[in-house]
Parts: sequence; C-alpha cells; structure tokens
Amino acid sequence: MTLSRRHFVQTVGIGAGAALTSSIWGRGRENAIWSAIEPDLQAVAPGVVCIASNENPVGPGPKVLGELKALMEGGKKPGRYSNQVGDLTDAIAKHFNVKGENVLLGEGSTEILRAATQVFTSKTKALVGTIPTYEECAGYAELIGNPVKGVKLNGDLKMDLDLMLAQAKGAGLVFYCNPNNPVSTYVGAKATRDFLTKMTQQSPETLILVDEAYFDYVTDPDHETHVPFALEHPNVIVARTFSKAYGMAGLRQGYAIGNAETLKKLRPWCAPSGTGSLNLFGMAAATAAIGQDASFTANERARNKEVRDMMMKYFKDKGMKPADCQANFMFVDIGTPAKEFRDACRAKNVLVGRDFPPYEKTHARISLGTMEEMQKAIKVFDQVLGKKTTTAAA
Amino acid sequence: MAEAMQQNRNGGGRMTRPNLPPGVEAIRISSNENPLGPGKAAIDAILGKFPEANRYPFNSTPLDADLEILIAKVNTAKRENVVLGVGSQEILKNTARVFTSPTKHLVIPSPTYGDPAGFAQNVLKVTVKSAPVDPKTLKTNLDALLPLTKGAGLVYLCNPNNPTATVTGLDDIKKFVAEVHKTSPTTAILLDEAYNDYADPAQFQTAIPFALATPNVIVARTFSKAYGMAGVRIGYAIGHVDTIRKMARYRMPYNVNTFGVAAAVASLKDPQHIKEEVARNKQVRDFTLKALKDLGYDSTDSQTNFIFTDIGRTMTAAQFREACAKDGIMVGRDFPPLEKQWARISIGTMDEMQKATETFRKVLRPAMTTASGKGQ
Repeated sequence: MTLSRRHFVQTVGIGAGAALTSSIWGRGRENAIWSAIEPDLQAVAPGVVCIASNENPVGPGPKVLGELKALMEGGKKPGRYSNQVGDLTDAIAKHFNVKGENVLLGEGSTEILRAATQVFTSKTKALVGTIPTYEECAGYAELIGNPVKGVKLNGDLKMDLDLMLAQAKGAGLVFYCNPNNPVSTYVGAKATRDFLTKMTQQSPETLILVDEAYFDYVTDPDHETHVPFALEHPNVIVARTFSKAYGMAGLRQGYAIGNAETLKKLRPWCAPSGTGSLNLFGMAAATAAIGQDASFTANERARNKEVRDMMMKYFKDKGMKPADCQANFMFVDIGTPAKEFRDACRAKNVLVGRDFPPYEKTHARISLGTMEEMQKAIKVFDQVLGKKTTTAAA
Repeated sequence: MAEAMQQNRNGGGRMTRPNLPPGVEAIRISSNENPLGPGKAAIDAILGKFPEANRYPFNSTPLDADLEILIAKVNTAKRENVVLGVGSQEILKNTARVFTSPTKHLVIPSPTYGDPAGFAQNVLKVTVKSAPVDPKTLKTNLDALLPLTKGAGLVYLCNPNNPTATVTGLDDIKKFVAEVHKTSPTTAILLDEAYNDYADPAQFQTAIPFALATPNVIVARTFSKAYGMAGVRIGYAIGHVDTIRKMARYRMPYNVNTFGVAAAVASLKDPQHIKEEVARNKQVRDFTLKALKDLGYDSTDSQTNFIFTDIGRTMTAAQFREACAKDGIMVGRDFPPLEKQWARISIGTMDEMQKATETFRKVLRPAMTTASGKGQ
C-alpha cells in the first residue's frame, strides 16, 4: 500500500466550508473526504505500529471471531441479504434491559451521529459541542448548511459545563462526547446527570446526544451509563459503538438507545432492514460480542489501563503533561506541533493521531496499542521528542 | 425462524414474513440474490481479514481507497470518478439527496426498484412522477418519461430493470439523456446497473463510458448480485468527476466494512468467476422460463437473475406467493401496479428451480384448465 493514496482526496470535496470547520473544530478525519488536511492515509503494514485511530489493538476476541468463522463456513451466506437486524436489536435490548423500540442500529455510530444532526439541527437551530471534539456532527451540520457553535474546554481540557449550558440554550443538538475525543478527559456521572437535567429544564426541545463510544475504558469510580436517563427523557439519546472496546472498527456497527418516539424520528436516516440492512459480518459479530458477559469489557479495560498507566508515567517523567485520561488514547502537551511529531514518528513506522485544532501546535493524540507496541513507540518517541527533557528530572 | 423475521424500522420491532409450514425448508427465490454466494477468492479474502477486524477501513489492507482505485482501473477511469457506498443503497439515497428537493422532482418508470422513490417521497418530501412501462414488452418507456423530466432533479432508470427484467439499449439512453438535457440541462440521470453482469451483451451495454464523459449522468453498481455479496454491502457510483464530487460529499465516513472491501477487491481480480456465474444463471433461467412457458405462462425477456411472469389469468402475485410458500418456495413481493398479473421469481440453483417449478406446476396448473382462479 503506497503512501500516495490521498493524492486524490486532496482534489475532491474540500470546499470553503471544510476549511472553515478545520480551523474551528479540528477537522482531520481519516475518511476520503475529510482526510484532505491529513498528511497521510496508510494501511497498517506489517511492522508498523498504528496508534492513530483509537482502535482496540487486540480485536474482538475468540468468541466473536468464532461466530464469524461459523458464518463463513459453506460460504453461501454472504450472498444473502441479512435478516439479522432483529437478532442484533434484541441482543442490544437485552443487554440494556430495554425494548427493541428503544434501540436504533447504525452503520457505526457515525450513522447515528449524522441522523441526529440531520433531524435536530436546522438553519436556526445550531449544533453545540466542545472545541475540539469528535468531528462527525460538526462536519455533517456544515455539509447540510446548519450552524455550529463551539464551546471552549477549560484549562484541564475538560468540558466546561456551565459554559455549555449557556451556549446550548435553544440549540437543536448538543453533542456530548464523554470521554471526550480527542482530549480523553471525562466528566463524572453525577455532573453529567446534573447537566442533562438542567438542559432538560432550560431547553427541553434540544436533543442531547451523549456519545459513550469510550464508555468501557473509563476507570473513574464516578461512572455510569446515561441510558436510564435517556429512556426517561425524550430529549436525550445515548450513542454506542462496537468500534472501540469491542474491537470491531472494520465491521461498522453502532447504535443509539433512547426514547422510542425520539428514535422514530431518526430511523428514516439510518440503515433500514432487508436489502439495505447492515452487513452480515458486522451484525453477527456484534450480536455475539454484546452477548458476552461483562468480563470481556472488564478485561479489555484492565488491559488498556495497564498500558495507559505506563504511558501516563512515561510522559509525566518527560515533563510533558497528558490530559487526565479515561479512554484508550491520550492527549499530550508535547510542546511541538503535532504534524512535526507525526511525520517524524511515521518515518520510524509509528502512526499517531491527526491534528486537533486549536491544540495542533502543542498537543498530540496518541492511541494506546498493546504493551509491546507502546514499548516500541516509546523508543521512537524518545528519539523524536528527546530522551529526557530538562524538567523531567524532578 | 430468523428467515421469517425482519425488523420493522418504524418501530424497532419485528414484522413477520409469510411463515412456512413446520419442517419445510425455505428456497429463497425472492430477493434476486446469487444463490451460490461469493467465489472462493472472495471467501478467502474475508477469512484473511479476521485479524484486522479491529482496524478502520482507512487502516486496513486493502484500504477502502484501494477498492476505489481498482474499480476505476477496471472501468478505465480515475479514482475521482468513483465513490463507494454501503451497497448501492447508499448511492441511490445520496443521489436523491444531491439532485432532488421539494422543488426538483424525481422521475421513474413504473414499476421499478422502489427504494429511490420511497426515500425521496417519504423522507425527502420530494414529488415523484412516473410513467408506466410499455404494456406489451414491459420495457421502460423513455418516450413516456421524457415529458415528465422538465424541471426534474433526477431521473432514475434501473437497467436492466427490476422487477421487469428488461433492458434499455445504450443508444436509446444516450438519445434520452440528450433530449432531457435540451430542456433541463441540470437534471441528473441515475442508471442503476445492479444486474448488468447478467444481461446479454447483444442487448445491453454499460453506460459507464458515457457517464464518465457526461456530467450529471451517474451509474450505480453493486456487489450484491452477480458477485454474490448481498450481505456484504458494497456498491459504488461512477461518473464524471464533477458529478461524483457532489456525491462524495454525502458519502458516510468509513462507510464500507473491511471484510467487504477485501472481498470486493478479490472478486474484481477474479473475472472468471463472474463469467461462470452468468453462464450458470442463464442455464437455470432458460430452464425456468421454459417450464413456465410449457405451462402456458409467458415471461418478459429476462436479462437478469430473476424473471417476471404473467400469471394473471390464474392468480395474483399475492396468491401465487402464498401458494408457493406452502412448499417452502419463497417468491418475490408485489410490484404495483402490476401485482394482480405479474410475479417476480428470482433464479436459484438448478436444484432449487427444479423443486420450484414442480411447485409452480402444482400451483398454476389447476387454474389453467378452468382459467377462473383469479380473485379466489
């Protein structure tokens, strides 16, 4: 796989809007359209450490892969349109102890995020989210010509909930990514619940999309899902994905949980059943994945934490301050532009995250690979960032 | 049971398809699928991707971009002429989003594949105007469509057409597009070539070269039919760079799954498999058409992996479907406005169609002698 794949994307689809967004929201998506401001799009070749995309480095595990293998035996099934939408919906509903009508499947949570933006923002009802955050909603709002309002993070790179509340009044949609990508910080369960309650009171027509993509990686004890809140409040939905802790980014499965009437508004914009349904590998894998007992995510959380603790210590020892990390990636003040760091790392076969304005001059996002991968990465970081900094000794 | 169930996306619950009698195994000839599934190359490619399930399509090997490049190469085009979709479904929807609006209507023949019109009408609140297919041949009637195209945002032509199985020649399409663009130069024409591989080259020529050279003409393709990957959800649009650029803006990020990308790449590198599938389909199709003809039932000139048969003097499509389901033979849904007279039957394997035609003989014959079964 050559390095020049993205030559094309640099010529396609980038209008003034995208450029504007990149300056405000930190665009830098890896996909075909948005990747134009990304320096490189590259398959993970053998020997390359890819810690750029917040993937689970160990994959979905033997139970899911066994299910996929069974599916492939005989080889006929991929020829059929899948009828598994109902099975996956049931499996998710069972996991959360909700009804099927409270579940909305999507092609990754991407489709959920897009559908919510489509339905709940308008020319007069803005999208509100932090700067930076995961870019999907903002990119899409801009695509369909709806306004986007960015809210600054506080000094610890955490969401400033008072500022959010003030900015979100009368908004169409609030995108609440927690833990927040790319900064990896987290707002505790109680504070989030208070925020959701206040939003419900002050602006009941605004939808709050709580993106729990990294939910399973949180180790903070003040942690719980906001699915119960969403079920009781039609103005809140929770998005989840199988792309992170479940290790299935390639299979494109995500979903929303919420009030049946709210989800009904989004359904026409998500993959339907029958001939337009989700791919059968993804549905079979997701059904098996969510049917596993809690030890699967607990083990993955523990594995990630061990790596994370090592990396936190590594950067602290270097005198480079990482943001408080509750995810499978970290956001580090390396004091040099992310691009320089990224290019230098890539030259040594380590791929790290894209630019995240307005922090791209000082901060880099580094996903957490396996322990072995991170030990390799550390050697490269030492070369690129310098072995020790002057402040590190203390 | 799973076979009979499907999610009703309006409520998240399930709706039930006609249930089979206990112990009867279904022969599914209702959805125009390749009954054999993908070829060995594709299956091997999928199995080889298991270790990369955790990687996004922009980190996988091959990349989603590699598939676009390969599709471009196969069609003597450039990558910027191609955009991938989650099946052609995403392409059809995005075409409607880009080119139609409440003031720019959609034009379709009737009947045709229903999803574009359904999405345009129900979700985008777009007006849909249609003209019936030719009453004799059931071919798409371009002359009847032309007057409807003035001020239209989009014309959708499925070619070969689903459910009628008929083909429109490339010259006729070119003339039609020229006429449309005379009065309505910004109207887009979407040519859905889902079944192209199955068509006789003497009748059907792809519009891809035409689309590459003509702004606002788009060809949609899918890996769901001859390539045997309906469950894999990979399709694409190909056309002039200015047109595809508009489409690409709406492409969902990371839309295609990595197993599907690998399978599609492997399939495109194995054209022999498609040749064999096309020959296999033709043989079984000829057998099925003859069996029905022998019973006294005519079908349209099928250029696809399904046939469209006039059973009207005996029963409606719904009655036929119910009667066949008793033997586990699942045939196609209703296609209004022809559902009282015409039935769509997908082509399964020879073995499946031998069983199916036995059922057809049983179901359709009794009425032949009396010719009075209709409406019962």
